[in-house]
Amino acid sequence: MGFPRMLRLHWLLATLILITTGVFRPPLAKADEPLRAFIDRELSTAWKEQKIAAAPKSTDSEFLRRVYIDLVGTGPTYDETTKFLADTDAKKREKLIDTLLADPRFAGAQANVWDLALFGRHPGNISDTRTRPAFKTWLAKQFTDGVTHDKLVKNLLLAEQPGSEMFMVQFRNAPDEAAIAVSRIFLGTQLQCAKCHDHPFDVWTQKDFYGVSGFFVRLVVQDAGGTPNNRTFTIGEKNSGEVLFSGNAKDAAPGKKGEPIKPKFLGGNVLNEPPTPKDYKEPPLPKGSEKMPKPTFSRKEKIAEWVVAADNLYFANATVNRLWAQFMGRGIVHPIDDFHKENTPSHPMLLKALATGFVANKYDLKWVIREIANSDAYQLSGVSASKASLPMWFERARVRPLTAEELVAAMRTANNFEINPKDPNANWDYFLRAFGEPTNGLGEFQGSLSEHLFLNNSDQVRALFRRKKGNLADKVLTSTEPWEKRVELMYLSVLNRPPKPKELEAFVSFIKREPKPDAAVEDAIWVLLNSSEFRFNH
Amino acid sequence: MSHALSHLSRRAFLKGAAVTGGGLILPNWGGLAHARSAAETVTKNKKRCILLWANGGASQIDTFDMKPGRTTGGPFRPIQTKVNGLQVCEYLPKVGAHADKLAVIRSLKTQSPDHPDGIYHMHTCYKMAERTPHPEIGAVIAKFNGNPDSDLPSFVRMGSTGNGGAGYLGPKYEPFGIDRTGRMPYFTTSYLKDEDEKKRADLFRLVEDEFAAEHKAEPFESHRTAKERAWRLLRAKGVFDTSKDWAKAKDRYGDTEIGRGCFMAKKLVEAGIPFVEVGQENYDSHGDNFVVHKGNMLGLDPAWSSLLADLADSGQLQDTLVIWMGEVGRTPGINNRAGRDHFISAWTVVLAGGGIKGGQVYGASDADGKTVKDNLVTEGDLFATIYKALGINHRAKHHHGVRPIWLTPEGAKPVDALLV
Repeated sequence: MGFPRMLRLHWLLATLILITTGVFRPPLAKADEPLRAFIDRELSTAWKEQKIAAAPKSTDSEFLRRVYIDLVGTGPTYDETTKFLADTDAKKREKLIDTLLADPRFAGAQANVWDLALFGRHPGNISDTRTRPAFKTWLAKQFTDGVTHDKLVKNLLLAEQPGSEMFMVQFRNAPDEAAIAVSRIFLGTQLQCAKCHDHPFDVWTQKDFYGVSGFFVRLVVQDAGGTPNNRTFTIGEKNSGEVLFSGNAKDAAPGKKGEPIKPKFLGGNVLNEPPTPKDYKEPPLPKGSEKMPKPTFSRKEKIAEWVVAADNLYFANATVNRLWAQFMGRGIVHPIDDFHKENTPSHPMLLKALATGFVANKYDLKWVIREIANSDAYQLSGVSASKASLPMWFERARVRPLTAEELVAAMRTANNFEINPKDPNANWDYFLRAFGEPTNGLGEFQGSLSEHLFLNNSDQVRALFRRKKGNLADKVLTSTEPWEKRVELMYLSVLNRPPKPKELEAFVSFIKREPKPDAAVEDAIWVLLNSSEFRFNH
Repeated sequence: MSHALSHLSRRAFLKGAAVTGGGLILPNWGGLAHARSAAETVTKNKKRCILLWANGGASQIDTFDMKPGRTTGGPFRPIQTKVNGLQVCEYLPKVGAHADKLAVIRSLKTQSPDHPDGIYHMHTCYKMAERTPHPEIGAVIAKFNGNPDSDLPSFVRMGSTGNGGAGYLGPKYEPFGIDRTGRMPYFTTSYLKDEDEKKRADLFRLVEDEFAAEHKAEPFESHRTAKERAWRLLRAKGVFDTSKDWAKAKDRYGDTEIGRGCFMAKKLVEAGIPFVEVGQENYDSHGDNFVVHKGNMLGLDPAWSSLLADLADSGQLQDTLVIWMGEVGRTPGINNRAGRDHFISAWTVVLAGGGIKGGQVYGASDADGKTVKDNLVTEGDLFATIYKALGINHRAKHHHGVRPIWLTPEGAKPVDALLV
């Protein structure tokens, strides 16, 4: 190992203290300064230091579309667009943010964001976890009910509320995967390297890794019925069972038995637990859907309590960093799930202020989101010459592809359809296949053939913009207003802005040169739905 | 004699030459650019690869590692080829006639014994259980040896093939699946008339140009590029229609799925596609192994041998690596249903063409074929060899999230004896 164990820990703690107290610079936070103002002050300071110019303030249209997609998971309707653009209230942005935070769609949109963070597109134990409507319902209800984030995460790890169990079902018979996921998602820490060998550039050893695994090794996923697309499970816990550690994976040999490793909190103490009686024999698993009895001592409860404990610095830091990246593109520590001593935060004071405020506001995600969305930084324009999708210093709006969920919703909203409350899965598999994984291993967007073949030629997309009673094409074709006004209706519905003069002229002549306008109107709407302006949130 | 033509986009063809005053490149609606000289410049030194995939796992003892006279040998008789030490099954006479082109590896020892995991492992050279999305060999070759300006996809496959996709390399290198008859996948038929499609595309370009004037971020550009690629592919669809030529070729290739697939693969690499995989069903002979294998070889023999002959005749074999493999080998022992089960301790893969030194047997199994006797080759070694033969650095590094990953696992070494 080469580096004394205690020294490593001290180094880690020292780094955390440096990060969280920001001794690199004199403290700047003023009493009673709202977080949104502090955000802007910290970012401006960095722009001056870096000698970079920030983008101007976003237009109302830019802001409107951005904040709708970010908060409620779809673009604004035509009516919402025209109402906001016509509003002359100086505080209309702040008011809109409050309205959207209270909108019923907020819960579903945030549930989609967190569902993707918790499962990805290829969850473990995929035959059980591929579809999970009960979990999504449970998750959305947490946001609807305003459950604070520490409680939400604790309940997720306890996996006892109906619907909540699915997160743990991913890790059926795979305590190592649970250790990796929980550390990464909730603590911002990458442990995976330490599974096979001591982490090459962080402090973690294999024993740290298997120490975390130890909290999950006794969990048992039990089938509890349900339907094929909505399976249900319960998570039981045994009274015995240990992780066995057998050294570096390179030296693994068949039959080599490892030594048991005690559960140990990440960067903390070994779990203090009563010893299992010497002659204890685990009873056979109950049959059918009968639940396992609770263990006399639950490791699961201990890890769930520890993850969200007030003195666990990892949790608050990782959560606010994730939220920041959700709205601002990059993490302050970036990548968001890679806190370690060499990966320093770009704005340490800001990270501290966000984390402190989050804890002081009782882990209220809405509070953090409200402050970020109200900052000038969030409301910068996307116009700039920079090619970066995620600007390093947050000097202009980030460019991110809409998720498959957002894209379906935004296409429906633009075409004046409901976001399909009755049948949320209509054609979903097709959209998921075309838009589910638009990035490479580094998270960089790559346009794909399958996405565009689907957009260009599929009946699933065409069904949205083909004339149908009440949809956008129908509204445009039914209207008797001059074509200039009708093109404006299309632009406001899809891109939430009026057309520029050149665009107006091109669209009007595109439609007018046809003897019958129907097909041309559908084609024109297709063009707007296919534009990069629509494909991304920017 | 056929020539290596590449479907280059007009955009690439006109690069630096026919750019308009405003810096705009002319739209690509006038038809394809069959630009032989440009194709040769762009694809110079970039090798191509055809993977013939024996789905289910072929028996090495009944094909290329025969054990006549042993209890494990089975009923098939061997044919001696012109290569010393290389006998092949009596049902592969035509492939055997190309023995001077083949490099037979008889010492493969692998780790994944079943279908989904073996298929994944033998397409990516990594274990499926790792949960990192590794790219298939086709995506790797598409990335490193593909021409980004081509009208055609770089990774094409037919039949039962890999299950890993493009993985961490990203959707740009995703597989494009076609039918052996050339039938295209979903969403490749426009519902618009050509002239309406053109008008719609022009309006799209106008909207994009307006937006691009003020928005320079890379994702926007990637979106537009992919849109243009999709349109170009639709214009180039004719490449996949081999029905006319097939009438003349089917007597040689055999009128079977694998015959049609091999012929299609030949046409596609000629058109400049760097990787084509053809799956052959189904070698998974837990029962009636000999009936199953005889049937498969009767289809494989004319198909594979004609592919090698045609590539050699047109001078393309030296730049086109042809691989024959599946996810597992089959047990030396014969079970009570006259079947052979999955086997990973000592099995066989055959390479030919591009970068490979033909006319040799590499490695050996023991007398009954139960273990590797000489020159053990792992999945990683095999892939390192293939990548080196194709001019690809087998230790090229990528990332999945924060994790660094290499194309082949640590310790994998190319087998230099197999390389030209």
